[in-house]
Amino acid sequence: MFPTSTQCKYWMFGSEEELNKLRERANQKHIQIHGRQMNDSVKYEFFLTPEEEKIMVKRYELHLRDFCKRFQPPMPRCVVGTSFHYFKRFYIHNSVMNYHPKEIMVTCIYLACKVEEFNVSIQQFVANIKGDREKATDIILNNELLLMEQMNFHLSIHNPFRPVEGLLIDIKTRGSLHDPERLRPGIEHFLERALLTDAILLYSPSQVALAAVLHAASKLQENLDSYVTDTLFGEDGRGKLEDLIDAVRGIRSMVKMADSTPDRNQQKMLDKKLEKCRNPENNPDSEIYKKRMQAILDEDDDLYNTISAQNHSMDSSALNMSIPASPEVA
Amino acid sequence: MDDFTCPRCRTSKFQNPSLKMMVNVCGHGLCESCVDLLFLKGSGACPECKIPLRRNNFRVQLFEDASVEKEVDIRKRVLRDFNKKEEDFSSLEEYNDYLEEVETIIYNLTNNIDIVNTNKKIEQYKRDNREQILKNKGKLGKVEYELEELLEIEKQIEEARKKEIQLEEALIDELMFSNADAQNILDTFAQQAQQAKEEKAKQPPPKVTQFSTGIQFSRQNHASFLPVPTDEGPSYSYKPVTFPTDGPRPPSDEELIERDFIKHVRSESEQERAGGFKSTIACKRALQDGSHGALPFQENTGSTLRIIYYV
Repeated sequence: MFPTSTQCKYWMFGSEEELNKLRERANQKHIQIHGRQMNDSVKYEFFLTPEEEKIMVKRYELHLRDFCKRFQPPMPRCVVGTSFHYFKRFYIHNSVMNYHPKEIMVTCIYLACKVEEFNVSIQQFVANIKGDREKATDIILNNELLLMEQMNFHLSIHNPFRPVEGLLIDIKTRGSLHDPERLRPGIEHFLERALLTDAILLYSPSQVALAAVLHAASKLQENLDSYVTDTLFGEDGRGKLEDLIDAVRGIRSMVKMADSTPDRNQQKMLDKKLEKCRNPENNPDSEIYKKRMQAILDEDDDLYNTISAQNHSMDSSALNMSIPASPEVA
Repeated sequence: MDDFTCPRCRTSKFQNPSLKMMVNVCGHGLCESCVDLLFLKGSGACPECKIPLRRNNFRVQLFEDASVEKEVDIRKRVLRDFNKKEEDFSSLEEYNDYLEEVETIIYNLTNNIDIVNTNKKIEQYKRDNREQILKNKGKLGKVEYELEELLEIEKQIEEARKKEIQLEEALIDELMFSNADAQNILDTFAQQAQQAKEEKAKQPPPKVTQFSTGIQFSRQNHASFLPVPTDEGPSYSYKPVTFPTDGPRPPSDEELIERDFIKHVRSESEQERAGGFKSTIACKRALQDGSHGALPFQENTGSTLRIIYYV
């Protein structure tokens, strides 16, 4: 039930502008915390601008898609869709500079595998990653809780795939289209690109599905307009069809824009810039990160030490004599 | 007391100082060795009144007069059933009548007067008051409650006294064995005592069980249950739950089959059917998902404000 879901309640946004504003705010917040002493004019020479952050996120979305395509064992579509949702949700309220998208991306996919009941162990999962697998394991498991927390533990995602099935069943039953299965390749292509856009944060899954079906039909020079206006919505939709047509049009034009190829030179430049300005506390290669992890470990040890010291002092006071301090206290 | 003799073997306390007299429900005494001898099999008849007795009902005689033992026994048994409390009666007179009746029954049983009728009376009472008996079983009477409270207070006083003594002893120990300045030690202990006093003052005052008018309240609370709250206001009426769909109404279960929606889904396997997963469920869910939320946000506030940017 999408209308009663957390996705509908908390993760649907009114407009692209609203989304951009939230992302800008995340960017500002990061800069305020980490670049307080910096002058406004030189600030963006060091830090990423909101625009640049968006480009980074876009690029890693492409990476995410390719990673999922190459994943062994092959993963179902809903895992890909859910990972995209998680990834987008995370960077609405967080800055790329704070958490590197490379790390969040794999964490999103790993979590999506779990939520969508696609059972892979962490070993199996990191087997798909090039490079240091042990480090990757650490990164994924360390970030998993953070990711869930940032999404407010709203984990269930309504993807547009099932609505597509529903629409196809309906078209086969009530529509007059000849062999609706022909639409499938077009629909799949459309949905794949739709995941790369913000459309899934702005429109309900059934709207996206409808747009995909209509798009695929128009590619085949078929017309489903009368099915949509008369059969599907009929009396229920009177007066609201305008909105729906606008929504479908909006989704289709967003998807059309999805295919811009990224600029290689700009990418390299951004990578370098990010390497310099990213928050060292969350960079697993940095000294500060290692220190912080060590501190967390030490904290546990300290706690243990204080507790045992307390116990010891209590023991000795109860016995009313002084025992030479044991080595762990000293 | 020394002229205690066992009615069977004639051994007396004088001959055998470790003689232990035992008594059973009939109230006739017997010495321990005779009990061992006679009741080897676990049961047997009393040598005096020939009443069949059980061995494990024998206990050590506490009172000189064995008939007192008998009465104690009977009283215990009778009071197990006659367990009404003063609170159960509306007037003191009724309560007194009841007590008198109980005493009569006990007296009759102990002195073998009209035993048949008395036993019948007990049975009758048991039958008539079964519920009340069960209810009163776990309850403490007013008197027991008062005693318990007294014990509690005593315990508290005892504890306070112990603490004081401890402090004093510690002071003396300190003065004896420590080599610090005596005045210093005295000062610190005086301070401690002061602190303890303050703490005591902070402690909540002992439980109040009486209003200033003398009406007792805590006891009644413990002795009875709270009254069952009676519901006021309109009674509950069921309203079917409606879900917002934000879209056209999907077909119902019957329509799925009637209008051939079901033909376009894979039919369920035998295993799936055994688990209750019919193909109608998958079909309905797909159709629902296809239509729910399709018409944008009818009830949400954002619906009219939605602006499309890419037109």
